[in-house]
Amino acid sequence: MNSTIEYRLTIHRILIIDDEESIQTVVKFGLTLTTPWQVITASSGAEGISKAQLEQPDVILLDVMMPEMDGISTFQELQRQEKTQHIPVIFLTAKAQASEKRLFKDIGVDGVITKPFNAMDLSQQIIGVLAEG
Amino acid sequence: MAKKRGIPPQKTPQRHPKSPLPINSVEIDNSVEIELRRQTQRIQLFSEVTLKIRQSLQLKDILQTTVTEVQRILNADRVLIYQVFADGTGKAISEAVLPKYPSILDQAFPEEVFPSDYQTLYAQGRVRAIANVYDPAAELADCLVEFVAQFDIQAKLIVPILSAFESQPLWGLLIAHQCGTPRQWVEFELELMQQLADQISIAIAQGVLMENLEDVVATRTAALRRSEEQLRLITNALPVLIAYVDQAQCYRFNNQAYEEWVGLPVDRIFGCSLHKIWGKVSYQQMQAPIQAALAGQTMSYDHEMQLPQGMTRSVNITYVPHWDDAQQGVLGCFEMITDISERKAIERMKDEFISVVSHELRTPLTSIHSALKILASGGLGRLSADGQQVLEIADENTDRLVRLVNNVLDLQRIESGAVTMNPQACNAADLMQKATDEMQAMAQQQGVELVTTPIDLALWVDADYIVQAITNLLSNAIKFSHVGDRVRLTAQLPSEAKASEGKASGDKTSEDKTSGDKTSEGKVSEGKSDQPSQIQFQVCDQGPGIPENKLEQIFERFQQVDSSDARKKGGTGLGLTICRKIIEQHGGKIWAENQLERGSIFSFTLPIVTEQNPPSLGIEVE
Repeated sequence: MNSTIEYRLTIHRILIIDDEESIQTVVKFGLTLTTPWQVITASSGAEGISKAQLEQPDVILLDVMMPEMDGISTFQELQRQEKTQHIPVIFLTAKAQASEKRLFKDIGVDGVITKPFNAMDLSQQIIGVLAEG
Repeated sequence: MAKKRGIPPQKTPQRHPKSPLPINSVEIDNSVEIELRRQTQRIQLFSEVTLKIRQSLQLKDILQTTVTEVQRILNADRVLIYQVFADGTGKAISEAVLPKYPSILDQAFPEEVFPSDYQTLYAQGRVRAIANVYDPAAELADCLVEFVAQFDIQAKLIVPILSAFESQPLWGLLIAHQCGTPRQWVEFELELMQQLADQISIAIAQGVLMENLEDVVATRTAALRRSEEQLRLITNALPVLIAYVDQAQCYRFNNQAYEEWVGLPVDRIFGCSLHKIWGKVSYQQMQAPIQAALAGQTMSYDHEMQLPQGMTRSVNITYVPHWDDAQQGVLGCFEMITDISERKAIERMKDEFISVVSHELRTPLTSIHSALKILASGGLGRLSADGQQVLEIADENTDRLVRLVNNVLDLQRIESGAVTMNPQACNAADLMQKATDEMQAMAQQQGVELVTTPIDLALWVDADYIVQAITNLLSNAIKFSHVGDRVRLTAQLPSEAKASEGKASGDKTSEDKTSGDKTSEGKVSEGKSDQPSQIQFQVCDQGPGIPENKLEQIFERFQQVDSSDARKKGGTGLGLTICRKIIEQHGGKIWAENQLERGSIFSFTLPIVTEQNPPSLGIEVE
């Protein structure tokens, strides 16, 4: 419970990186309506890295399947960058296999949220996932 | 053998040419003793000849041995066997004759020398001992005297060879000739001839039987060969590898497809061991199932098979034990290998298709689902009452679609083996609590009381999947409960479960019964009787229960009790199928039954960590 409160208090800005514009839109609406968080969007891995460096979000939501630079490459790049490596990253994935979840955890991803999710419940999920560690 | 039993060789020369057996009357003056000795020698002699005759089953050899031996013993000039044919004619078919006399072998006798009335007399058992053919007392027909004269025959001894067939009782004659001089035949000689003629009769009868037997054997062999040809034709026409392997695991039969696969002709496979044909690696994989089959168990399994040529094929292999007639022992087993590579490829394509479609559906579903939830929240402005109602319909059905996509994908993953269960030691109480926590909100919403009695017990399972299974059962129970009803989640060791069995009523299906029995007696009692290897979970509700004929069916995909349930209750029709798959992959069983008063009980078993059930329990999925 303490950690939930802690995250609710510490998240001010969140970055969503997804090539699907509709996902960006619903996430933005959902989070804006349910939290005081500022939602920043990016449509590709490269754009996401750039915005993460610039905006310094408290959490990054990162789609796994993206053209050109996929979620894993983007995550690894974020980890390499000194300015972004401290930011918790949650993967958004349609492939919710246990083996994949384990793989994501092994490479250091902070959490996984499986599609389809409900944008109105997303903030709860984000807090829950981060609290689980 | 015959020589050992025979008369000592030194005694033979003492025999007078025309006398019966050699008797040393100088040394033995007791007549009784002489007679006894003579009798003994005759028996020995007869035994010796009989033994020689019986050494062959071939009539020709028997006849030749007979005439040779008789000629030797009787010291006759000629001994022959004359065969009478069905038409009354005949000829000498075997002969032993001293070199100085002409042979009459194969010579046909004129009919007048052996007329039919003579044949009739011989057929009745007549024997003739003629000391001198020229003696009128012999009463021989002139033509016969004339006939024998051309061969210088002076004395004859004739005994009939009778047959067992009424149509032709006289088979032939055994005849001894003395040429040049008359001869007084003695009783022993007549007896010997008669006894040997009897032996020939027996040999002829046996020969006929043998011939018949050979005919039968030949007919049956031909039928067997035809049957084998038919079998080979049929098995060769089948696109399945068929073979028969004996107890020594050696091939005794195989069809053409088998030859093509292993790349060897049938004569190179026949008699060879499985190990030799398939090689060490492949044999090691088939060793356990074939041993089980040779122990009497029918085995069937899918397998990736490496062919001797190096190719790999997906196959289904079935071993069927071949029991002996008394069903006591296994003689060998039939092996059937079906190439299922294409089927497997199609299954993979289907799995891939389902997987891709499901994944592709998830992203747009996220947008629709979220968009509807955002609208329904009113955060973007209030809708009219009608608008709100329409939105709720869209929202509910999107939820349903989300669940359906999730379930289809879950099931496909489990069935295709894409899922790797990750068993770990965990506590039953934790799993029960986690599932209850997840369902508490739904229970409250439905006005249903959710009661859990956790049990502190170590399990060896994939916690995520077991929680999913329990959650699914709880969700079902809540859905079908009325406001104020109670849903109970309990777990107990089998002994407790057995004691509480009386609480449940309703006939289980046969499989259910098996499951129940196994729970209380079978698997559970493995190892130490006081240390059960499985735990039994139960989810009980107070809902309407399940019709008896649906108790098993509900675990099949899209088999709901009422087809409108999916709409009314928001189910997908896949939840229980997924539950069953998860439980079965953990080596457990799941079944449903009705409670005595109202409501249903869903029970399932899971392995617990014991000495007999170590954490190495194989629930890994390929």
